[in-house]
Amino acid sequence: MILLSRVADSLYWGARYLERAEDTARVIRSYTDLVIDMPTTAVSSWEPLLAVAGERTTYDELHEGTSETDIVRFLVSETSNPGSVASSIATARENLRTTREVLPRDVWQAVNDLSLYTVANVASGVDRRNRARFLNRVIADCQRIDGAMSTLMSRDDAYELWQLGRSIERADMTARVVGVRAATLVASEASVSSRTSEIYDDVQWMGLLRSVNALQMYQRATRGPIEASRVVDFLLRDPIFPRSVAACVASIRRSLDVLPRSELTRPVVDELEGVLSSIPIGSGSPRGHDGTVLDEAMDRVLLGLAEIGRVVDASLFHPES
Amino acid sequence: MAHVRPRADLWDELLDSDGTPRPCAAALLAQLATLEHAELQQRQDLAEIDIVTMGITFTVYSDGRGIDRAWPFDIIPRIIAASEWRQIERGLVQRLQAINMFIDDLYHEQQIVADGVFPAELLGDSVNFRPECRGVDPKFGVWAHVCGSDLVRDSDGTMYVLEDNLRVPSGVSYMLENRAISKRVFADLFAKQSILPVDSYTDELNRMLASIAPDDVDEPVIAVLTPGIYNSAYFEHSFLAQRMGAALVEGADLVVGDDDCVYMRTLGGRERVHVIYRRVDDLFLDPEVFRPDSVLGVAGLMRAWRAGKVAIANAPGSGVADDKVVYAWIPDIIRYYTGADAILPNVPTYRCFDPDERDFVCSHIDELVVKPANESGGAGILIGDRATRSEMDAHIALVESNPRNWVAQPILSLSTVPTLCDGVIDARHVDLRPFILSGGSCSVTAGGLTRVALRQGSLIVNSSQGGGSKDTWIVETR
Repeated sequence: MILLSRVADSLYWGARYLERAEDTARVIRSYTDLVIDMPTTAVSSWEPLLAVAGERTTYDELHEGTSETDIVRFLVSETSNPGSVASSIATARENLRTTREVLPRDVWQAVNDLSLYTVANVASGVDRRNRARFLNRVIADCQRIDGAMSTLMSRDDAYELWQLGRSIERADMTARVVGVRAATLVASEASVSSRTSEIYDDVQWMGLLRSVNALQMYQRATRGPIEASRVVDFLLRDPIFPRSVAACVASIRRSLDVLPRSELTRPVVDELEGVLSSIPIGSGSPRGHDGTVLDEAMDRVLLGLAEIGRVVDASLFHPES
Repeated sequence: MAHVRPRADLWDELLDSDGTPRPCAAALLAQLATLEHAELQQRQDLAEIDIVTMGITFTVYSDGRGIDRAWPFDIIPRIIAASEWRQIERGLVQRLQAINMFIDDLYHEQQIVADGVFPAELLGDSVNFRPECRGVDPKFGVWAHVCGSDLVRDSDGTMYVLEDNLRVPSGVSYMLENRAISKRVFADLFAKQSILPVDSYTDELNRMLASIAPDDVDEPVIAVLTPGIYNSAYFEHSFLAQRMGAALVEGADLVVGDDDCVYMRTLGGRERVHVIYRRVDDLFLDPEVFRPDSVLGVAGLMRAWRAGKVAIANAPGSGVADDKVVYAWIPDIIRYYTGADAILPNVPTYRCFDPDERDFVCSHIDELVVKPANESGGAGILIGDRATRSEMDAHIALVESNPRNWVAQPILSLSTVPTLCDGVIDARHVDLRPFILSGGSCSVTAGGLTRVALRQGSLIVNSSQGGGSKDTWIVETR
């Protein structure tokens, strides 16, 4: 089926922004749960959320304080933050609005529903009492859109671009979660050690897995206690958990292989897989990692994903320029 | 719920002058009578929710930004008996066929001018005549492939053609969406009586567009050309492309090759387009030929069209027959080309071009609507019974200074349909825009888009100015 380059571009970005909205919602939801579980002294800061979202610089330009309300509002509802849940949904809708003729009608209606719901409810979704309800609905609606795509859309180029956009953004979020949260946790585990802190460490690792909805699948896969190195390995390299970086990269590869000009895109995917497999993850001992090494490795993964995005843009959407 | 008795001096589409339901509307009014006011309002509210969630919108400009507004819809339909409709349908087909023969003649021999039926001066003055189109032979001799004619009914019940929109008529997607909603609101009535379906329109449009493709093409690729997302009718462009499985393109998506063929820039490379259903005005179509600053069009498109490598619907230049002065000649045009009288009447129109008629217009201006030939959306129109003396004098001066640019018509009182207004059912004025397709053959929508002036006494039906819409039912009566 014929797909205009301009429409292809919008579809891909629509998918990315929708995934971004969903993932940001998951991360905020799980972090809020985590904070509620922790003693008041253990987690005092909401700043890791800014780092995970990759919006620290934008935030500092606009805000002085770092209170929970300020940070959550910035990530959920602020229109000055292009990565906020509200902005991502609005941008997704604007992009998908120009692709209506290639999308199943139910998909557009679901996007429209989500957008209407968000506009009407986002202001109240910042408050802790309503936050979970608001974020759950955003996540459920994104799932509904994805479900409609997967059951209604022919497996043509448009579908593959949708998958590609979602996979790139999903890999990006998982890598950020590992890079920011895991690296910090590993560093703090190396410095303090006591019975109490170990319990809360477990809670923290569980929270980390939850932020990408990985806890249940991790537990099924490992059938054992939460271990730092296994968590990191699972999130980065598990071949069958769909939100692991490796599974996302495999999905990126599948899509790019059937899309045009794969000879131009394949090398950058190869490179990213190389980066992924070469990351040293301490064996056995939960305290065996070096936080800095992990942080730097994730930067390389994020750069690799950005490079894929750049090559896709140049070779698929703007081949004549 | 009781309905409001119609005004004696107006024609109501659903009720006769005693307030008795017309036969075609009997079933609907019987059902409305059983509904409590709250139930009716609830159906209206549900319909509005459907419109919002289905994303049925139109775009209005405000502060230089396009804003998406929910489409205004009233649940009480406008109903026409099928027997009457068949006659209207014949009239519309006759009219479009004659108009197409007229356009084709103007761009070739201009026999109608030579025979003294249509004045040469008018042609010379027409801002919509495109000399660049002379000598081109679109398939079947058809130039205006999609026509939206506005029909109004006067107080004596006569249905008149008010104007023919031949450039880029819009509204058909709303006709289809109104039906989708109306079927939910009155599901039982659709089951009980025979209401002609409208859903086949996009199929017929698709077939018509395929029929005008260049002759050597087996499976033509069709594209809908839109000015883009900020156009007020973008929803419709997208809707039609989606329903036809056609590509929705903007000017920048197209390129004309050295072989004079038109190509789309697609993910897989360049892909040839055989038929363009354009929703962009003539003057923006091709910066090489028309406005050089246009970014909405495609450089070389006219070259491709003249070479017969691509079909364009409506053909460039077809707007020549879409002007209020030409309108006044349509009955003569129909007689000239078909040898028959017009089945559907024109609103009686005074041509200020003619000295006697001009004198009549100037001395009776307080009883007339005076219209410039080439403005749209109501610009430059004077409505005599609502104007001040100095406004009338100003218009007389305008008419005297350029008589060819002006026509005048008696002030019609548009018919009404009961409409849900702030909690009560009250009569509101309506018009009707059916859509006529012409390619290898002709077809007419079953009904069309009924537009309603939601303000009491208002005759303005445009959605951008407080107008709403209704579903239109063509009902078989025994």
